[in-house]
Amino acid sequence: MSFLPLAHALASRQDLPVPAWLFAWGASIVLVVSFFALAAGWRTPRFEQLHERPLGAEVSRLLLGAPAQALCGAIGVFLLGFAVYAGLEGTEAPDRNFALTFLYVTCWLGFPFFSAILGDLFRPFNPWRAIGRAAGAGFALVAGQRPAHAAYPERLGRWPAAIGLLAVVWLEVVWGKAGSGFDPQTVATAALVYSGYTLAMMAVFGVEEWCEKGEVFSVYFGMFGRLGIFGSRDGRLERRRPFSAATTWATIPGSAAVVIASIATTSFDGGQEGAFKDGIESMTGWIEDLGFSVLTSLRLSSTIFMLLCFAGVGLVYLLGVRGMRTVPGAPPTEKLRTGFAHTLIPIALAYLVAHYFSFFVFQEQAQFGFLLSDPLGTGTTDLFGTAAWEVDYKVLSANAIWYVQVAALITGHVIGLMLAHDRALVYWPDYRNATASQYWMLAVMVAFTCFGLYLLSVANG
Amino acid sequence: MRDARKLVLGMLALVAAMALTACGSGSGTTGETAEIVSGDFTPVADAPAGYSEVSGEADIQRPENGGTVVSLRVTGLEPNTDYTAHLHTGGCDQADPGGPHFQFKKGGSEEPPNEIHLEFTSGADGEGKARVSTDRDVPVGEAGSVVIHSAEEESHHEAAASGTTEAETVMASRFVHEGEHHGGEAQPHSEMIACAELEGAAARNGEATAGEVGGEVPTIEVRDGEPVGGVQTLEFSAGEEIRFRVSSDAAEEIHIHGYDIAKDVPAGGTIEFDFPAELEGIYEAELEGLGVQIAELRINP
Repeated sequence: MSFLPLAHALASRQDLPVPAWLFAWGASIVLVVSFFALAAGWRTPRFEQLHERPLGAEVSRLLLGAPAQALCGAIGVFLLGFAVYAGLEGTEAPDRNFALTFLYVTCWLGFPFFSAILGDLFRPFNPWRAIGRAAGAGFALVAGQRPAHAAYPERLGRWPAAIGLLAVVWLEVVWGKAGSGFDPQTVATAALVYSGYTLAMMAVFGVEEWCEKGEVFSVYFGMFGRLGIFGSRDGRLERRRPFSAATTWATIPGSAAVVIASIATTSFDGGQEGAFKDGIESMTGWIEDLGFSVLTSLRLSSTIFMLLCFAGVGLVYLLGVRGMRTVPGAPPTEKLRTGFAHTLIPIALAYLVAHYFSFFVFQEQAQFGFLLSDPLGTGTTDLFGTAAWEVDYKVLSANAIWYVQVAALITGHVIGLMLAHDRALVYWPDYRNATASQYWMLAVMVAFTCFGLYLLSVANG
Repeated sequence: MRDARKLVLGMLALVAAMALTACGSGSGTTGETAEIVSGDFTPVADAPAGYSEVSGEADIQRPENGGTVVSLRVTGLEPNTDYTAHLHTGGCDQADPGGPHFQFKKGGSEEPPNEIHLEFTSGADGEGKARVSTDRDVPVGEAGSVVIHSAEEESHHEAAASGTTEAETVMASRFVHEGEHHGGEAQPHSEMIACAELEGAAARNGEATAGEVGGEVPTIEVRDGEPVGGVQTLEFSAGEEIRFRVSSDAAEEIHIHGYDIAKDVPAGGTIEFDFPAELEGIYEAELEGLGVQIAELRINP
């Protein structure tokens, strides 16, 4: 059977699989920590209130005032426009064009990483929100009234964002990696199409409504921002207890699908050349036998595996929910399903860090090196004198990467357990029942974390 | 409340314990001390008359904080004469002793800092010493020998003989200039005098080769733009030599990602890659023109 190699558009380096001894260590620590957590859980919720403390009025005015908002929005619009321009006009070489690294590395990975620490950083820079708000303000000025919007169908919830999230990753790791397709022009065109779609949806349902529920990037980055320590309310910047804002995130239907899509897509990408490689190859062979071309077969089988990941991760979570339902005094399944969705956010973040941390560190050297000075990849531009800076792969040793990967998974596991324990205390007034329900969530978390470790240990196997 | 603190502390302790274990086992592998490779000078086969008594030693040291120091000490030279020595990649026992110059970036500049040159003047007793240090690591497996040449050019020689140090400097710098412009042979008229084969290096090369399957350098065969038998996985340990050959039925450019090394293989020909494993991780080797991966290089720490 002939097989197309998976050309890696951006990365010329991949991580070595985590060695067996470290895998064993990681898995044992996960188990020990988990049983420890069961034995020593606290009895009153600690994260369910935001515990926020407003920052000084002047800081808030400076950072959240109209001039700052306009400036951040303008920066966002400029950068998106520039990335699209570079994608359409610049070199076709993916690694030499500003567009791909900026959109898929700096933004797609950078916003989750930094928002998880600092709070939602994307919202002020969201280019579509900025355009939508400016358009709304313009409309109000001309028409003398605020634009009217259709009511958003409540049942749709965050499902548009979950599906969009699958699509964004699909473009990169399925359409893009299967030999061709992940070129700057395609991504720039996709960005334009997405911009048109988003602005249309904002016009129909309202800017803030769509950002809260349907806009992929707002929902996805905002989800990680809930873990961070800064937030804003009524124009006032506030400091809050870490992770506490996550507890109010999943109240909108479909939120669980977003976080499950995040875990699933990262799992798929992490496993497509390791754990799932043989499966994808066999399925590609079967599809080829049906008369499809190799490329089409590979894309189809990869798509099916990505959806299987989504179904698999979702199933594990739903089994945990079903299990908790059997504990005396449990709330209805529906409530449990949305009620524990936020406890998976730290797991999703841990997966992201474990799989993309080294890629991010290496690729950002390109971003702030040659891509910054020569964004179109012409080879003749040197805007900031950094056009000759190449990626130094020595900044991270293989050992350092392994420890960060395993530490990320364990930390995510612990935070997920803490959030789940907290939520159980709210749902089950009886402490014994609350603890009993957490055997189930514990099993879910152990499954995800050990699966994450497993993916790392057979990466590119 | 107290329970919660206990839990958090306990978990912190565990994570810390793991971090310590991890660091402990990690530092064991990086605690290498100064590595020394050395060799003795012997006159080369066609050394000019008067150099049959040349002897001495060359060595390479790796200071603990990184970088490389190459030094030599040699006797039996002409008194008060200028010499140049270069670090070469090959051994002494071949038609062109030493083979090509060692270069950090292969195919790059033929001048320091990309190459290692030692310039020195012998004393009245015909003894010469030189030492050069660089903050970059010369991979031990790549350093084959140190070869001493007579001073750069005949005209340079004459200037030196006339005894005016000023003229010497001017001539020398002009020579360097010309050399850069032509980008070609650096010492058109210099004569090779002595060669010191770096023994540790040779031993290491032997080890690396013996480590390969069947004691041979692996060869990847490319036919019809595809690697025969699928994408080949080649494993190496950081610090050793990465050696493999690629044969192809059509002319191709072979590109090693990450290391960013490219070589052309002619139609029906074979080329050999030989470079130090400096970067850890997994890197692809591909047919640049077709974008087809032929091998995966795994460099383990």
